[in-house]
Amino acid sequence: MSIHFQGHHLPIAGSKEEPLYALGARFETPEALVQAANRLRKEGVSLYECFTPYPIHGLAEGMRLPKSILSFLVLGGGVSAILIALSMQLIPSCIIYPLVVDGKPLDLLALPQYIPIVVALTLMIGAITAVTGMILLGGMPQWNNPMFAWDLFAKDASRGFFLAVEARDRKFSVSALTELLHELGAGDITAIHQEASEGK
Amino acid sequence: MSTSSNITTTQETPEMNAPDLHLLERPPQVLNNRGPLWVTDAVCSIVEGKTPLWWYAAIAFTGTFAAIGGACILYMICTGVGVWGSNSPCFWAWDITNFIFWVSMAHAGSLISALLFLTRQKWSLSISRAAEAMTVFAIVCAGVYPAIHIGRVWFVWFLFPVPNSYGMWPNFSSPLLWDVFAVTSYLTVSSLFWFAGMVPDLAVLRDRATTKIRKFAYGIVSLGWLGTARQWRHYEMMYVLLAGLTSVLVVTVTTIVASDCATSVVPGWHATIFPFYFMVGAVYSGSAAILTLLLPLRLIYPQLRDLITSSQLDKVCKLLLLMGSCVGYVYVFELFNAWYSANPFERGAFWERFTGSSAWYAITCLSINLTVPQLFWFKAVRRCLPLVFVLAILCNVGMWFERFMIVTSTLTHDFLPSSWKDFHPTIVDILTATGTLGIFFTLFLLFIRFVPIMSMNELKATLPGAQPHGDAGHSNHSTEAMR
Repeated sequence: MSIHFQGHHLPIAGSKEEPLYALGARFETPEALVQAANRLRKEGVSLYECFTPYPIHGLAEGMRLPKSILSFLVLGGGVSAILIALSMQLIPSCIIYPLVVDGKPLDLLALPQYIPIVVALTLMIGAITAVTGMILLGGMPQWNNPMFAWDLFAKDASRGFFLAVEARDRKFSVSALTELLHELGAGDITAIHQEASEGK
Repeated sequence: MSTSSNITTTQETPEMNAPDLHLLERPPQVLNNRGPLWVTDAVCSIVEGKTPLWWYAAIAFTGTFAAIGGACILYMICTGVGVWGSNSPCFWAWDITNFIFWVSMAHAGSLISALLFLTRQKWSLSISRAAEAMTVFAIVCAGVYPAIHIGRVWFVWFLFPVPNSYGMWPNFSSPLLWDVFAVTSYLTVSSLFWFAGMVPDLAVLRDRATTKIRKFAYGIVSLGWLGTARQWRHYEMMYVLLAGLTSVLVVTVTTIVASDCATSVVPGWHATIFPFYFMVGAVYSGSAAILTLLLPLRLIYPQLRDLITSSQLDKVCKLLLLMGSCVGYVYVFELFNAWYSANPFERGAFWERFTGSSAWYAITCLSINLTVPQLFWFKAVRRCLPLVFVLAILCNVGMWFERFMIVTSTLTHDFLPSSWKDFHPTIVDILTATGTLGIFFTLFLLFIRFVPIMSMNELKATLPGAQPHGDAGHSNHSTEAMR
């Protein structure tokens, strides 16, 4: 299914009756994608996303994405793990059930003996925070996405350089964006509608 | 450095014959100017193709050993640890030997994937996924022993930081409790590192899936990865953080495992060199294990020869040589230390080790580990892959004997000669040990068949022309995150 639009051939993905989700485009090279991302930002478009098979240098900078806050989350996770590990060992050893062997101290004087578990737990909770943080900050887990209505994207996301401008963007205009994307060298510009939900 | 872009057949890297001018130039990650599409196809085809016959045969073989091992463990649990050869004074024998052997083997995987990633040693990219998988599976094998060696496994919860029925808490100053935390966190972190690194590649398999079941299964495990710029931003940060955490963990875990021995006062164990001793031994045996796993893979799947290049294998051999030399140094130093301590028990322990009933395995261990890695000084040896394969297996045999020597020869000869008693493994010991080998190889076969064995996204990011500035060959893709 497709429509002709200002002399351009504009294919439609998804169900035409459903609301328009985004305007998608495919670029041949990473350079073209980075350039397009830069240009869109300068044009005041904010709700757009780039899809790449591997991380591209300068793309996040071009989109003015903030630095990932993951490192702070991991720091927080690690520090709380230190506190948890210390109290988990010190409270039973010193207060609940002191296991005195040869009169050796159990309080903070004996700190070195508590360190191995502190290190192990800190690293473990740090790693769990890092992975959970990456998953949640990246908007995952999400087992469906309107983008998958676009066949080309669904089959080729692993090798192509894609860009999609969401219809919710206040600067969104099919005609202006199609023009702009063509100018930036995009191919396969497609209007992505949401898929008809089952049960309708 | 490949001369032609039109080469279609697989070729060995030509840099081995290149003139000196090329010595400073880094060999390419992927040979024969392969493009991103080729990399994806080469890696995915292993998972997507029809299951080969050898795979069924291999998994039937390894699965049988794993099942026999499982049956032995069940028998041991139902009957008691008396079915093992462990006795007084050798209370620890093959259980701890194999535990140390496996947990050590795991370390090289973490080291190659994490430490070499942090130091931008990009040659390890194509082997890091398999190395991480090896780590996870080796920890699974190692984890079998601590739980069952306590005998009455239903009391395993005494190891957890909870009070038992008498209101008594575990002893937090015991290295055995540290072990529990070290191994648990090592298994968790390395599994996470392995899995998280795989998510973008699992999404590739999801996108390429042709059947509904595959699409569903890979769709679930890839968590809805789309490869958006935002996702990559967090992903790269996560990868650097995990690599950092894992690198620290490797050192911590070996140190803690070494502390099991070193914090005791038994002569032959009570030495400060133990953490270093275990660390270098670990990387040594792990590098050998990686070679043992990768060389047959490269033979079975010829397309991998462009990805696992001979120059990369050469570097693993050099790592093996370095670590093998460190191991040799520790052997000599340990003997020197025993003599220099002027402690009759310490001297006696080592004298007994090489002259008493443990002499045959102590000498086997030393003769393998002191000589075999030294052969890797020669380029001709490093380039002859069948020979490398055999030597790598020998190194692991040597390392197993080292673990056996450390644990058993020390315990059988304690302070009181009247209590000395030799250790003889029973059939249950032997079948449990081969069972863990079976578990390891079964898991590795499943890994080859169901997940991408290489990090496609990392490889593609380093191909020429993959980055806008054309600098793919000079900076790591994590550069942004590391700033």
